[in-house]
Amino acid sequence: IFFSTSRHTMDKSITLPPDEIFRNLENAKRFAIDIGGSLTKLAYYSTVQHKVAKVRSFDKATKVNIPEAASDKLYEISVQEEVTARLHFIKFENAYIETCLDFIKDHLVNTETKVIKATGGGAHKFKELIERKLGLKVDKEDEMTCLIKGCNFVLRNIPHEAFVYAKHADSEFRFQTTQPDIFPYLLVNIGSGVSIVKVESEDKFERIGGSSIGGGTFWGLGALLTKTKRFDELLQLASKGQHTSVDMLVKDIYGGSYGSLGLTGDLIASSFGKSATADKEFSKEDMAKSLLHMISNDIGQLACLYAKLHNLSRVYFGGFFIRGHPVTMHTITYSINFFTKGEVQALFLRHEGYLGAIGAFLKGAEEDNPNQYSWGENYAGSSGLMSVSPDMNPMQRARSGTFDMLEMDRLERQLVNLPLLQDPSSYIPDTMDLTEDALAREYWLYCFEEALDGVVKRAVASQPDMPEAAERAEKFRQKYRHKLQTLRHQPL
Amino acid sequence: MAEFVRLDSSTSRHTMDKSITLPPDEIFRNLENAKRFAIDIGGSLTKLAYYSTVQHKVAKVRSFDKATKVNIPLYEISVQEEVTARLHFIKFENAYIETCLDFIKDHLVNTETKVIKATGGGAHKFKELIERKLGLKVDKEDEMTCLIKGCNFVLRNIPHEAFVYAKHADSEFRFQTTQPDIFPYLLVNIGSGVSIVKVESEDKFERIGGSSIGGGTFWGLGALLTKTKRFDELLQLASKGQHTSVDMLVKDIYGGSYGSLGLTGDLIASSFGKSATADKEFSKEDMAKSLLHMISNDIGQLACLYAKLHNLSRVYFGGFFIRGHPVTMHTITYSINFFTKGEVQALFLRHEGYLGAIGAFLKGAEEDNPNQYSWGENYAGSSGLMSVSPDMNPMQRARSGTFDMLEMDRLERQLVNLPLLQDPSSYIPDTMDLTEDALAREYWLYCFEEALDGVVKRAVASQPDMPEAAERAEKFRQKYRHKLQTLRHQPFAYGSLTVRSLLDTREHCLNEFNFPDPYSKIKQNENDIALKYYQKAVKSLEELSWEERQFALVRGVLAGNVFDWGAKAVSEMTLGPQIWHLGLIYLFIFFSSERPWLVDSYDQWLERLRGPPHKCALFFVDNSGVDIILGVIPFVRELLSRGTEVVLASNSGPALNDVTNGELQILTERIAAMDPVIQAGLREDRLTLVQSGSSSPCLDLSRLDKVLAQVVRERQTDLVIIEGMGRAIHTNYYAMLSCESLKMAVIKNSWLADRLGGKLFSVVFKYEVPAGKPSQGSAAVTPS
Repeated sequence: IFFSTSRHTMDKSITLPPDEIFRNLENAKRFAIDIGGSLTKLAYYSTVQHKVAKVRSFDKATKVNIPEAASDKLYEISVQEEVTARLHFIKFENAYIETCLDFIKDHLVNTETKVIKATGGGAHKFKELIERKLGLKVDKEDEMTCLIKGCNFVLRNIPHEAFVYAKHADSEFRFQTTQPDIFPYLLVNIGSGVSIVKVESEDKFERIGGSSIGGGTFWGLGALLTKTKRFDELLQLASKGQHTSVDMLVKDIYGGSYGSLGLTGDLIASSFGKSATADKEFSKEDMAKSLLHMISNDIGQLACLYAKLHNLSRVYFGGFFIRGHPVTMHTITYSINFFTKGEVQALFLRHEGYLGAIGAFLKGAEEDNPNQYSWGENYAGSSGLMSVSPDMNPMQRARSGTFDMLEMDRLERQLVNLPLLQDPSSYIPDTMDLTEDALAREYWLYCFEEALDGVVKRAVASQPDMPEAAERAEKFRQKYRHKLQTLRHQPL
Repeated sequence: MAEFVRLDSSTSRHTMDKSITLPPDEIFRNLENAKRFAIDIGGSLTKLAYYSTVQHKVAKVRSFDKATKVNIPLYEISVQEEVTARLHFIKFENAYIETCLDFIKDHLVNTETKVIKATGGGAHKFKELIERKLGLKVDKEDEMTCLIKGCNFVLRNIPHEAFVYAKHADSEFRFQTTQPDIFPYLLVNIGSGVSIVKVESEDKFERIGGSSIGGGTFWGLGALLTKTKRFDELLQLASKGQHTSVDMLVKDIYGGSYGSLGLTGDLIASSFGKSATADKEFSKEDMAKSLLHMISNDIGQLACLYAKLHNLSRVYFGGFFIRGHPVTMHTITYSINFFTKGEVQALFLRHEGYLGAIGAFLKGAEEDNPNQYSWGENYAGSSGLMSVSPDMNPMQRARSGTFDMLEMDRLERQLVNLPLLQDPSSYIPDTMDLTEDALAREYWLYCFEEALDGVVKRAVASQPDMPEAAERAEKFRQKYRHKLQTLRHQPFAYGSLTVRSLLDTREHCLNEFNFPDPYSKIKQNENDIALKYYQKAVKSLEELSWEERQFALVRGVLAGNVFDWGAKAVSEMTLGPQIWHLGLIYLFIFFSSERPWLVDSYDQWLERLRGPPHKCALFFVDNSGVDIILGVIPFVRELLSRGTEVVLASNSGPALNDVTNGELQILTERIAAMDPVIQAGLREDRLTLVQSGSSSPCLDLSRLDKVLAQVVRERQTDLVIIEGMGRAIHTNYYAMLSCESLKMAVIKNSWLADRLGGKLFSVVFKYEVPAGKPSQGSAAVTPS
């Protein structure tokens, strides 16, 4: 819910061809937009025509007339065009909003669309621009309701949506299996401030608490202390600093631990306690680190207390303070572990940044009843976790004009648990988790890359009467190889 | 952490005048007998505690030998030296520690003392200095244990210790009555960090939580942001700033309130949220204010959550972040109200700064078992709340060398609740809270100042053979006048300001200057004269019909109660003792025509008397002379005759012309010699004399002698009689008892009479039967 007013200058060129980002615009309807402090998230519903292979038994009546060569075939194979529903979600920096709106306007064919659902703190600022550019009426939706709706949707529909972060473990990310019953849970949204929301069912949630010490405080105090105005840079500073030079530790007061109270010597007794009386200058890095610890610990403690008070064991963290930042995920996780002694786990969401947009879209699509369907993540059209994180992809970040995408296909059938599963909540379909097993991961990635040539050949061979098949197969090879390469660096 | 440690205080000290502004012997009093030292060294303040004995004069009465009975007064008055125990606590800035240690060393006589208990973060820093200067071994005690021990002690022993702070209310401080059961409670100690401690019993506490965002964070971040290094200055900056220019409010994001979430537009959405993106410079004041809000709100929320999780409703706040700073008390209170919607109140403690020192002292004194005694705050020797607060006393603070003191006297008797209180936890002795009632405060402060000359004269006159009495009396005058002036500006200095506290403070100051009983001779005289009329009075009463007699007895108590030297209107009458009886006759006539009285439930009382006798009556008596002898005793005599046992409760120590237990013993003996009814009562143990445990003209039913409580219980007391303005009007007017009660007084103050809707010498006769108790008559009180 943070909204920035003073943008720093950035390269406004879009580095990806827009038609690879805003796909299927020609059939798009039901637009929704979530404008945050720095990022805009656009959502639309579209239909995709694609080819499906169908099989059909030969008619017994016509069986005689068919060619000799085919007569011994069991059934007929035909390629048909099928239309399926797909949800598109695109995330880009607010700086590109005008360019993007222009592109959408130019490609928007569907004239039934009259309204765009909007949410997020920035919605009111860009309202006029959107209405002018797109010729659509901006219909504002409650931010928190959208957030919760979106959260429920991803938790229900995307396997491995939630994960636990462990900085020093073999695998930084441990993904959680989808629970048959996602409720109740606690959502801690760390935007400029903090909102702590208890979600009890699809339609029932309550903001049970909050705090003014949030991402805006890190940013604001950080800017005052270090003269560094960019949020990402502040986090970079923090990741390099030593908080112990600014914070007063238990051992600074008592010379060691305070055993009778169970306080270890390294525990922070007072954030910024040393700067109260020391006349020396403190480094930017150290102050940023101390600030980060202070805020993360505070939020962690509040989250734990609310979780305990309401007897909730699942606590999800989101908001721009968290979004794709391993530094903050680490400090929040550390804090939660400290305060609950491991009883509560800090959970993060892969698509946390899209929650508001998804929710706003769902609000607009209520007549289509999207919750009655099952949806699946389309891996081909979706960017991975932290595709735009500066820590993971410094190169990409430098270009700054990066777009993150999520596509979800509506599945033809609603999917549920096999009723015979002994314990649906602990069921994990996969035998081996390659994120946790580096050797196995190496092997299988290699294996799939090796097999790629064969797959391409097979694909071309499957469409002998289509001359452009070879070209398409080549595109497939590139895309899949790129995915494999991405997975090698980001197994998550 | 409990206390902030200035590790490098020597380097960053601002210069200050190191001269001690009070003569040290007025601060470190009674050092010659001092033993059991304890010291709590915090980040900026040192708190010293010691136990000492005070010799002071007490007036004793003694019957003359029966052999020498002819021509001499009723009893002998002698002034004796008595030794009582006193706890001294002194608080001063760390800068003075060396000077103070030197002074102590020079005056320390007691050589038994080998050890000094020490606590606080600074204890290890000054260990070597203390050991060298005092020649005592420093024995470190756990900081948190000391803090909790001290907290339990003040909550148990100091009435009005805890208070609620309300910045914009008529009275900023609302003091809480002492609870019979202080546990469990939550203590939130805001030092450099925050410790949240759940206290379940005297010995059981647990640190259930804490936070690194505390006073050190305010100080540290504040110093970085504003380049202001002093904590007090940062608070001053904060009190002048506007947080809205730095903080992002809900309305800054949503243009107004966020109604569906119940968030108002003015709520802080993000502390320092505006400084994230605005390029402008922010003022020091605004940043300090924003920081203060951020920290106070955070602590407030944490405290509320822990209180809820552990189901605790009493939350006390302490630590240097809070200590004497109205700014932080206000923001913490605001935060608690916001987060609990008023369900939990933020409570602060008057002597919060002393908790560690008190606790360390108690640890060292465990063999003396200090918890088995009751202790009372000595108003004469104690500085009031916030005596050193920069906001309250800017002048004093500027001098910087200020000392704050607390003295507690060990009471001879352990004090407990009257078992007949209907609801001990809601009992408030005082009828009027002068801290909340500005007009009443003005009047009474004026009244006590006016009366001061008379009190001084009386004090001098009471010691005719002591030439330095005039000088001491003058010192008394200065001290008490200074207290009155302090109370005019800081009515909350000693808890709720009440007529009782003003009277008690005067008694403490008189004792302080060795005027233990200025009225002893007057009382003696009055008693002497009244006793001469006793038999005549009894005889005339016996001649009346039953019904006439009941009324005459009540009238007698009321008329007798007029003879009150504490009352302005009476002391101005300047009647010589010789004409007391004339006055008495006059007043008898005066009252007989006055019904219905201002509060008059006499008919119900009479109706009740027609029924079965009470099992046992507890009678809190008032003045000596006519009051006790011609008013109370005949009334008691009638009760005894009806078959009711009587317990007469009188003051343990002197206060004005109130009859003391010692005097009453002699008087009843004398009366018994003349009156077979009283004699039989004493002999058969149906008339008992007990001490109230108090030396006040008023009465606190929650602090009474343990023996009294025991007697009341054993005798199945079913009637409580409270007599006099101090005991039945200034205090206990609204007290609810679980048995029948009778409150009788004559209002001898025109202002108070006016307040209660009557006039001078109006009579209050309030007979009450608790709801649900069967009685013979109606329980209703019918004001005129």
